[in-house]
Parts: sequence; C-alpha cells; structure tokens
Amino acid sequence: MTDDVMRFFATWLFTHEAADEEMKAAIRRGISGGPEGMSGGPDAFVDGLAAMVEEEKEKLKRDLEARARGEERAIEEPPDPALDEIRFEVAELRGRLDSMESILETILRKVSG
Amino acid sequence: MASRSMVITRTILGQLVRQLPAARFGLVSAHVRRAAWARGLRRSFEQLGPAFIKLGQLISVRPDEFSAELVAEMQRMQDAVPPVPVEAIRAVIRSEFSAEPEELFATFDNEPLAAASIAQVHRATLAQPCRPVWGEVLPIGAEVVVKVVRPGAAESILGDVVIVRRLAERMAGTRLARRFDPVALVDEFSGTVDRELDLRREGRFADRFAFDFRDDPKVQAPRIVWPRSTARVLTMEFITGWRLSDLEIAREAGVDCRGLAIHGATAFMRQVFVYGRYHADLHPANIFVTPDNTIAYLDFGIVGYLTPEERMNITQVMAALIYRDPDRALRYSELLGVHVPQEHVEPVRKGLGELLDGDVRPDGTRDFAHFGLGFLKLLGEYGIAIPSGYGLLIKSLATVEGVARALYPEIDIVETAQPFTTRILAAAMGDPVRIRERIPAAVRAALRELVV
Repeated sequence: MTDDVMRFFATWLFTHEAADEEMKAAIRRGISGGPEGMSGGPDAFVDGLAAMVEEEKEKLKRDLEARARGEERAIEEPPDPALDEIRFEVAELRGRLDSMESILETILRKVSG
Repeated sequence: MASRSMVITRTILGQLVRQLPAARFGLVSAHVRRAAWARGLRRSFEQLGPAFIKLGQLISVRPDEFSAELVAEMQRMQDAVPPVPVEAIRAVIRSEFSAEPEELFATFDNEPLAAASIAQVHRATLAQPCRPVWGEVLPIGAEVVVKVVRPGAAESILGDVVIVRRLAERMAGTRLARRFDPVALVDEFSGTVDRELDLRREGRFADRFAFDFRDDPKVQAPRIVWPRSTARVLTMEFITGWRLSDLEIAREAGVDCRGLAIHGATAFMRQVFVYGRYHADLHPANIFVTPDNTIAYLDFGIVGYLTPEERMNITQVMAALIYRDPDRALRYSELLGVHVPQEHVEPVRKGLGELLDGDVRPDGTRDFAHFGLGFLKLLGEYGIAIPSGYGLLIKSLATVEGVARALYPEIDIVETAQPFTTRILAAAMGDPVRIRERIPAAVRAALRELVV
C-alpha cells in the first residue's frame, strides 16, 4: 500500500515538476530537515513527506529511463504477502504437528514401557 | 499457604527494616527514602524466588505506575539464580519425552549454560536434521540450546500468585496504592507468568519474528526445533555472538556497530508500527551482535501486541514527537486511552511542548527517553491514568534507544524513526475510507484557494 501511495504521489510530482514552486520549496525544506529542521509542527510533516515523495519520483524517473532504453524492468516485483502468509501458516502448522508427534511418541513409549 | 504468607510478609518487612538506617529513619529527602525502600523491596523479591523476581521484572517496565527509584532498582534485579542439579532437569526432559536426553540429542551438556528463575538452559547437538518453521534446515550435529522449565517452578509461582493477589486486594484503596491498581497489576502479572510457563508460546513468537523479518538478512531469531519441544522444554538454535557488554571485542572483530544500531532501532520500529507485535523485554542480555554482522533477538518471553488502530495512533504520536507537534501528540494519545481532563489540557499541552523542545542532547541528537518518560511523569503529576500498553511501549522504545546508543552513542533514534513513520502515515492517506472522509474538506480548501 505504501508503495502504491508513494508511486501515486511520485507520478503526480513527476508531471508537475516544472510547475509547482511551492512543492519544490517544501522538498528543499524536507531534505534539509535534520533535527533542527523538524520543528515546524504539521507543516514540517508535509515537508518531510514531500522530500520522500521526491526520492520516489527520482526512482520512478530512473525506471522510466531504463525502460526507454529497453533495459530489463528495473522495478522489483515484491513477493505476494498473502501467499507468503499462507506459506507461513502451513509451516507453523507443520511445527505444531512435529511437536504433537513427539508428544504421541512419548505417550507410546510410556504405554509400551 | 498461611506459612508462606508469613514468610513473604516477614521477608519484605525484614528487608525494609534493614533499610531504615539508609533512609535515615525517614529524616532525609523523599528521593533518598524512596531509593532505600526500593532497595529493600528488590532484595526481598530476590530472596522470595521466581514469582517475585518476575513481579520485579514487570515493575521494572512500568515507569507509568511506579516511582523512578523503584523502577531503577527493579531493573537491577538479577534473574540469575543458582542452577538446579542436572538430574532434576533430566527428570523434566524424561517426563516430557519418556526418553533420556542422550536418546533425543547427539550430545547433551550436563553443565548449564544459564539458570534463571523460570528456566534453565543446557547446550546440546542435534541427532537428526530439523526443518524449522521458517529458514534453512538445521543439520545433524547443529548446536542447539535446550531450555527447561525448572521443576516445581510452575507450582511455586502459581501458589505465590494466589497469595500476592490476596495481599493486593488488601492493599487496594489504601494510600500505598494511589498511583496504581494493585489487583490489575497482579492479574497482568499472572497472565505474563502463565504465558512464560508454556515455552511453546515463546517458540511460536520466535517463528513469527523470523517470518516477519524474512526479507532482512541483518536480523535473526533462533530457529525452533519443534520435534524436541513441549510446554516445558524448548529446543532452539544456538546463536553465537557478543552481548552488548562485550562490544569492544565485537568492534575488534570487525562488527559494524553503527550500522547495527541504526538497523536494530529500525527493526524495532518495524515490529511496533508495521506488525503490531514486539519484543517487550529488550534488555542487553536478550540481544546479541553476531560475527556475521547481524542482530540476534533472544528470549521472547515478554511480548507486546497492538491492534491496527493502536498501531496507527502510536505512529501518529511518534510523528508528533518527530515534528514537534504537541497537539497531534495529545489528540492521538487520547485515542490510545490517555484521557486528559479539560481543566488540565492547557498545562499538559504546555508541559508537553517544553518536553519536545528540551529533548536535544548536547551533541545535537534527540533524546526519546527524555520525552517519553518525561511525558509519563507529566501525566502522573496530573493524576491522569495511563493504559498499561501505552506505558509498556514507551518504556520499550526508551530501552531500544538505550540499546542502540550502547552500540553507537551518537545515534538519533527520533531521526531514525522519521522516514518510517512518515511512510506509514503516507500509506494511511491511501486508505479509501479515510479518503472518503477527508475529500469534502479537501475540496472545500481547494475551492477557498481558488476563490481568494
């Protein structure tokens, strides 16, 4: 979700790059915002966000340039989190079964011993 | 039971009486008096055994409810007790698996690696390969540690919990309990102990942790050997590394402590802000830096959980700290259950603003502990109740800052949190429900801009 939103803003910023001086000023403030620059309340948050969107925009620019040159798609496809989650749940179930199996073996040993 | 109650009362009173000279019989400053009583209490807890050691540990992570002196003293609580004879440990393993340790493992070390109030740890090696829930297969001969609940620990702890609850009921409503609810504390403690006595819970959290950080090769948790684990025995991968007290050796071995400090702090924020489940007992003994330049998290006995809503509100409070916005901090703290009565809003807001302005260290880095613990103290001064999860989280974040600074003293944890929280809040902006809620106001603002 984060990447989607960042991509959205980055695309917007990319198309408005030349136009919006206010946005550029916010980016400049956001980039220079170390501990000293982060003291402006809600506006500082917007500046910080603008600086991060700018980073994303630069990434988008590089991706588009790479694609224009016919290079391999630079944007990495992240693994599907839902599929990963299912894999984990199955693995966790296997862990529980392993533990149960050892309990059953214990019971068997007790019964036969 | 009655005799145990007597022992508890006698031990606590005895230790407190011993502190009378240190407290100058009450004729010194409140701070010195409180420190002396806290010392007496800590010593009596150590003497009274596992249940009280655990209770002390719980107090040590609750600066919202207890005095700074008591919290500091309980942090010094030593959870290192004399080991029980190996025969007793072998008996527990035998009763859990109906087999001798040598039948279960290729080797089993009779010498304990560590002994704490609830469990004792021994080294062993695997006789068969083990496929963990997440991560690479542990091969035959892999070194593991076998954590075994001390025999009798469960019975003695649960027996003491019953007595302590009765004492708490008597204490409730007295002057001693004006800052906290003793019964609620004991119930919370009882829940924590119940979870710690079933080692499988710890194992499951370690698995989940390894899964959550599957894309991060710099963070690791021990892999669990489930075929050799039960409620009272937990077998896990043996991780070698250096404790935070041995950092000089780690640095000499080429470990990048600065990188790990930043990474470790970010990893903790990921636990809190992204997953809503976090290691809530991050003292230096529970973290290793390894020769492969990774951070290893151990001992998942105490963990914290957050709902998605709490997670978002906490992110907002963190953003308020980063961007020095007291109104945002108060607004979202309210949603987390910190209810500031109307008549106190202005002074609390002012105090919060001062804390936000005064959290810069001489080297220019921000000091989270100053802000977080200062905020809890400020709320305490106005008698404002603090939800237990809120207090635990602030304490955990302050501990993470301490741990990170041990690795790299110049780290600025607030600065480290900035990209993290900003990204999460940006993601929240994309939530369709939120967009639907905010669009009318945004359109109105845009129209105002257009018509002026």
